[in-house]
Amino acid sequence: MSNELHGWLLDLLPNKQELTIWVLGKDGKRHALSHDFPIAFYAAGPAQHLRALWKWLRQQPENPKLSREERRDLFTGSIPVLAVELAFPSDLTQLFNRTSQAFPDLTYYNADIPISLRYAARYGVFPLADCEVRLDPSGRISDIRSTQSPWEVDLPLPPLTILSLEPECDPFHATPTKVFIQTPKARFSLDVEPARVFIIALHALLKRHDPDLILTAWGDTWLLPKLLQMSRETGIDLPLNRDLGQSVKHREARTYYAYGQVIHRGRQVLLAGRWHIDIHNAVMYHDYGLEGIWELARVTGLPVQTVARVSPGTGISSMQIVTALKDGVLVPWHKQQAENTKSIMDLIHADMGGLVFQPTIGVHKDVAEIDFISMYPSVMARFNISPETILPGIHDEGTDLPATSIEQGLVPKTLEPLLKKRIAIKVQLLTMSKWDMRYKSYKAQSAAHKWLLVTCFGYLGYKNARFGKIEAHEAVTAYGREALLRAKEAAEDMGFTVLHMYVDGLWVQKQGSNKVQDLQPLLEEILKRTGLPIALDGIYRWISFLPSRLNKKVPVANHYFGVFQSGEVKCRGIELRRHDTPAFIRDGQCEVLEILSGSPDLDHISECLSKIQRLIDGKLYDLRRQHVPPEKLIVRQTLSRPVNEYRVPSPAAIAARQLEEAGKFLRPGQIVRFIYTCGKPGVHAWDLEQPFDPKMIDVHAYKILLNRAMETVLHPFISLQNQPSLPLFVSDIGNCY
Amino acid sequence: MGRTLPSITQEFLQEEASFARFRRALRRSDQIVLDDLFDLARQHLAATAYASHALPFETLLLCMLLEEHKEVMKLKQYIAANRSGNE
Repeated sequence: MSNELHGWLLDLLPNKQELTIWVLGKDGKRHALSHDFPIAFYAAGPAQHLRALWKWLRQQPENPKLSREERRDLFTGSIPVLAVELAFPSDLTQLFNRTSQAFPDLTYYNADIPISLRYAARYGVFPLADCEVRLDPSGRISDIRSTQSPWEVDLPLPPLTILSLEPECDPFHATPTKVFIQTPKARFSLDVEPARVFIIALHALLKRHDPDLILTAWGDTWLLPKLLQMSRETGIDLPLNRDLGQSVKHREARTYYAYGQVIHRGRQVLLAGRWHIDIHNAVMYHDYGLEGIWELARVTGLPVQTVARVSPGTGISSMQIVTALKDGVLVPWHKQQAENTKSIMDLIHADMGGLVFQPTIGVHKDVAEIDFISMYPSVMARFNISPETILPGIHDEGTDLPATSIEQGLVPKTLEPLLKKRIAIKVQLLTMSKWDMRYKSYKAQSAAHKWLLVTCFGYLGYKNARFGKIEAHEAVTAYGREALLRAKEAAEDMGFTVLHMYVDGLWVQKQGSNKVQDLQPLLEEILKRTGLPIALDGIYRWISFLPSRLNKKVPVANHYFGVFQSGEVKCRGIELRRHDTPAFIRDGQCEVLEILSGSPDLDHISECLSKIQRLIDGKLYDLRRQHVPPEKLIVRQTLSRPVNEYRVPSPAAIAARQLEEAGKFLRPGQIVRFIYTCGKPGVHAWDLEQPFDPKMIDVHAYKILLNRAMETVLHPFISLQNQPSLPLFVSDIGNCY
Repeated sequence: MGRTLPSITQEFLQEEASFARFRRALRRSDQIVLDDLFDLARQHLAATAYASHALPFETLLLCMLLEEHKEVMKLKQYIAANRSGNE
């Protein structure tokens, strides 16, 4: 056996006595290699307590190696600790649990760090990295190094083998009878029954293709548990794991509350030696797909299977842990930093978010939108904002902004390479053709980076974040507000009217400034005054800022739509962006916007109106004649609480109750799909077994929804025309109220 | 969510609600004018929040004045323009 191996790191799993490293060799073979990887946790506290702990640990069966060391705590500096080193990584959890129960008063560090992060920090390797592995004569790893850095832009993907399994329909809706299969060479379907034949066929496929990734639809929640059950019942073994010594791991479903939403994560099925990703249970899969997952695994150091299922918050906190480990900083087991005491006036000044202005309601011509690039992360990196760098009670000279120390903080150090990579990709994307082979991958990577960067700011203020402190969180918003106001002042000094400002973006207008080069001096001036990068998002032919539905005089900050000079439409907060809007309504609003975007400028909009009128008449006709497929009328709403806790039954609660009666149970955070129907109870749950009768559709309810959506996009133009007698949709739909 | 202090919009609504008794005793026509004044103040909530005064109502009054004065200036300009046109 040669004593060196080149390949890509796929996965690492702690076994009983060592770490198993899965490497896809350049020879095309998959290698499971063993690596001795001792790991340690640390305890700090009064000397006599540590001595007692020492004595206690010496009697434990794991036989840890003990030593007194000086280590760095992020906030208090160097402290004496007791280092507890274990030869076998799999022993740590059990020993630590017993230790923390026996000695609850001590402060613990590095106690619950995922093994992959320890490995990434120690050897500088990361999932999918191109690696050089050195082996000792017995074939065990003696050293591993990567020739790449996760911060390189064009990292080639290893030649992975993917097997896709997709049931023919949503198992929650009806029981699938077929599963579509995609191998590297062919696409075909297999019947689920008879089970014996199905399992034998799958067994053969797994043996033949030996996939690195099993990509499924509903694999976590239905398919894989079903396959395992069928395998048990038929007595035919199904090698879902590549590592046959390990069992398939399950993680139960859970519901939690985050960012003002109730979120449900389905049950998880995790494989050993190969990955399983369920596209319906993967976080943000619709946003960045597999490309985004690869990128997240590279930059965070978390295993591919894990990173596909965790929130970006876990991703960014993993990156901070790796930075800390590399710098020799202790990673606290629990958060220890409480908020500083402050006076009520200090609190009033500090406890603010980003600046959100009230836009000038109405339609505006030739408006430029300029945005700070990743504003909050840039603020953290540029002004060195990190939980340990904020100097309490001290302000930057001549401002009311919190001052920070000179030495680079943990958070900016973690963010800097990520920000650089994001900006490098963004710059490439600006000039890249959409047909370029790299375009899709760059877009996905950029989306993955975006979520990491966005949550990084939130994590500074999160109550459980190990490296969080509310003062740092507040400092970021303070610098953000200052930057936005300086940008406003710069724009006004240069003769622009500021129509709207929203946390990190400004909408500005100036007569005769409707070309990209007209905006360049403003961008440069803002960069000079704030020190933060800012870019032109685009110039709108026209943009409409909408009023509140309840009070037409009151503007709403994030409800607007407009057409860029390229003809591209941008909208926020209107019906088509909402998840609960039925496809029929969304399509209608999209089509209207498309017609409006066809007009070369605002003065020619009135020519579109008759075309829009015909479109709406057609939609209403289809609705009345039941020509609209019921699937297009499905409303999707998230359950915010258990069904029996709804005091006033909302349509969503009624639909969920119908499902419960049919034996299908939903938990808070899960989505219930229903259609509005005539008479009582007014809704029909879409996932009921019994077929839906299209005659039951409540046409009136959908007319109201359609009218609302149309009014949103057309009202600004009707008031603009100032001709109430225009033959418009209102006359027809008005009757439906 | 996770707020120690109410947001400026919440504070605005509280201030408005605290005048419910005052509003109730006004004539219907005056009630409409009062509502209008609050709508005017609402257009400057961002600035009110940024000011972060302990008593936001003072700032809200200033917002109402500001919008009122804008209207006065607009009317003055209009009159001046029409007058010069007639002369």
